[in-house]
Amino acid sequence: MRGRPNLALLTGGTLVGLVVLAAAVSFFWTPHDPTLVDAARKLREPGGGYLLGADKFGRDTFSQLMVGARTTLYVGVVAVGIAAVVGTPLGVVAGMTPRGWLSELIMRVNDLVFAFPALLLAVMLGAVYGPGTLTAMIAIGVATVPAFARVARAATLQVMVTDYILAARAAGRRRPAIAVRHVLPNIGSVLIVQASVSFAIAILAEAALSFLGFGTRPPIPSWGRMLQESQELLFSTPRLALWPGLAIALAVLGFNLLGDGLRDHLDPKLRRIRADG
Amino acid sequence: MRRIGIWIAAGGLLLATAACGGSPGNGSGSGGGAKTQSLSVGAVAEPANLDFTSTEGAAIPQILLVNVYEGLVKLDQNGEIVPLLAEKWDVSGDRKTYTFTLRKNVKFSSGAPFTADDVVFSLGRVKTDWKLKIKTQLDVVDKVEKKDDSTAVVTLKRPSNGFLYAMTSRLGAMFSRTGVADLANKPVGTGPYVLGAWRRGDSIRLDANPSYWGTKPALSSVTMKYFKDATAMNNALLTGGIDVISSVQAPESLQQFADPNRFQTVEGTTNGEVVLSMNNGRPPFDDKKVRQAVRHAIDHKALLDTAWAGRGQLIGSMVPPTDPWYEDRTGDYPYDPAKAKELLGGKTYAVKMRIPNLPYAVSSAQVVKSQLAQVGINAEIEPLEFPARWLDQVFSKGDYDLSIINHVEPRDMGIFADKSYYFHYDNPEFGKLLASADEGTEQQQADDLKQAAKLLSDDAAADWLFLFPNLIVAKKGVTGLPKNAIAESFDFTALAKQ
Repeated sequence: MRGRPNLALLTGGTLVGLVVLAAAVSFFWTPHDPTLVDAARKLREPGGGYLLGADKFGRDTFSQLMVGARTTLYVGVVAVGIAAVVGTPLGVVAGMTPRGWLSELIMRVNDLVFAFPALLLAVMLGAVYGPGTLTAMIAIGVATVPAFARVARAATLQVMVTDYILAARAAGRRRPAIAVRHVLPNIGSVLIVQASVSFAIAILAEAALSFLGFGTRPPIPSWGRMLQESQELLFSTPRLALWPGLAIALAVLGFNLLGDGLRDHLDPKLRRIRADG
Repeated sequence: MRRIGIWIAAGGLLLATAACGGSPGNGSGSGGGAKTQSLSVGAVAEPANLDFTSTEGAAIPQILLVNVYEGLVKLDQNGEIVPLLAEKWDVSGDRKTYTFTLRKNVKFSSGAPFTADDVVFSLGRVKTDWKLKIKTQLDVVDKVEKKDDSTAVVTLKRPSNGFLYAMTSRLGAMFSRTGVADLANKPVGTGPYVLGAWRRGDSIRLDANPSYWGTKPALSSVTMKYFKDATAMNNALLTGGIDVISSVQAPESLQQFADPNRFQTVEGTTNGEVVLSMNNGRPPFDDKKVRQAVRHAIDHKALLDTAWAGRGQLIGSMVPPTDPWYEDRTGDYPYDPAKAKELLGGKTYAVKMRIPNLPYAVSSAQVVKSQLAQVGINAEIEPLEFPARWLDQVFSKGDYDLSIINHVEPRDMGIFADKSYYFHYDNPEFGKLLASADEGTEQQQADDLKQAAKLLSDDAAADWLFLFPNLIVAKKGVTGLPKNAIAESFDFTALAKQ
């Protein structure tokens, strides 16, 4: 590839890579047990094996951040997974039958779900089924379905008027085959970009839910709950709020940049313009 | 797309700093002459209505009892029973007849005079119209009679040490015969304050009662302002939106109010035992050894230091230090993980810790979980929305192994005598001790209750994490703050502002 290097892709990839690395390493090793309460280490200053200090329970902040990354990715992957697996087929079906009653039905139900705020849905599910990572993930996932369905439908509509689809139909290919063999591969890049952006939104939603007490259950570390627990110490020990806040901001920024970068990278038209210009 | 990305990232930072936000709150109308001074008090739980005869919970008596409604007697700051609407009372030799001599010239806020008829009416209503569980405390009353306008006679079925104490609670509140039509919205009492305005979801204002029989309040009005969130309440005091925080919900934040030129902190005791409840009715906690292991496994000092900033007191049973029969029981189960493991016999357990989503419970649960894990009990924490879901799941249905809740009712050791209560503690010996304590002389009462508290502790019917502190922060110059919260109400009567 000629031209300038894709800065967004590079930065986004690095930030996301860091989060993934921290999460992966936390499975095997953290500097300290992230949930072990030790009164002797209460509000310990950073240093001496405690890189970022300890919270009011004496738990190591750095270890908590590492395991928190795991929670964050877990929620993101499952939520975006639900949205993609449910939303994409709906969008493709709607896009392939643009004037049918099925398309109308799918898109209107879609609008209905889209109008419902994700956080409210999560709080409702939490109140009914008890708060937890699972309910949060499902709620965020369900609320993201419409976004995927819309993007998939729009992309499918574009693809459906191309010559190769026309050729496939003329050759007598059935609709399911066309969808799988021709439509999906050609809208893939759009979906990847959407997934990346949805991932960022899911991370933020999980943090907000945990902050409100409707997300990950204590004591499993979560960036949102770390923020919430640091609230009362905001004036005396602000670092406790700073680190998880920074982690959330950087992770969200990373996934957004990654989405932007991927879009530029995967879009052949844009790539050509850049290369020429 | 790029712009959206930055906004979302900024959202993360906003979330990080959301805690600094908080509404500045509206001014409390401070200043002005001595006659028009008012005060604003922050609290956490807003009542759903104003009728404490049919609605459970501590929020309604917190604002109304003693301030709007008065009883014949009340509890003073030391836990002594002192006269209020009764000038004095005489107890017969067999301790079954109480003769109350009522104060004269007392009027309800509706203008109706307060007489012995109202005593008969109010105590009668407890039996016929009240819907609270605690009304059984007055089951011991046989009949209430009017001797003359200012003398009421209460006859008991048997001698009872608990009767007069129950009369200091909401059960003893005096209602007007013509003032109970709309208790949920229009309280009519004899107290120093009357209901001024209720802005639902925000605040309740009480105005001074101009025709009060006793010392008139120094303030023209007191507003109770309700907050959903501890940090918002802290910020309201910092920015001048309120004058008093009635109960600090985030004790680590007290450092913000360290400046003695601006703020004062009052620390006293409450009747609130923060109990680690164990379900005695099902495995594994139907086994006394497992319960004892839990008590040995918890380092209570470390728990209090981390979960509640070291504020509060360690107790070892269901009696607060302000009760006359208090004994220090904290030494019964010293922190000893090795002993706990021995009691468990090397077995490990997986249990459900279903707690209310309240700050002290969520904080304490994490410490309890970490400490229990050291001896082989893995407790999974599940916060339930309080009050509705916790009351339904844990309190009513008893579907839990461990829970954590602050039992705030005064002298509430009796809840362990009820086998159907959510502890499902079952020891007939305990019930006998309580019954004999209620009927016996004062000395016997104290002896029996000491024994009962020891029995609870020995049986490890539950674990007592700590006694909830009464933590009040107020602006400098506010006087008359109640040091100890041992009654049901936040007493406004002595409040003043310099």
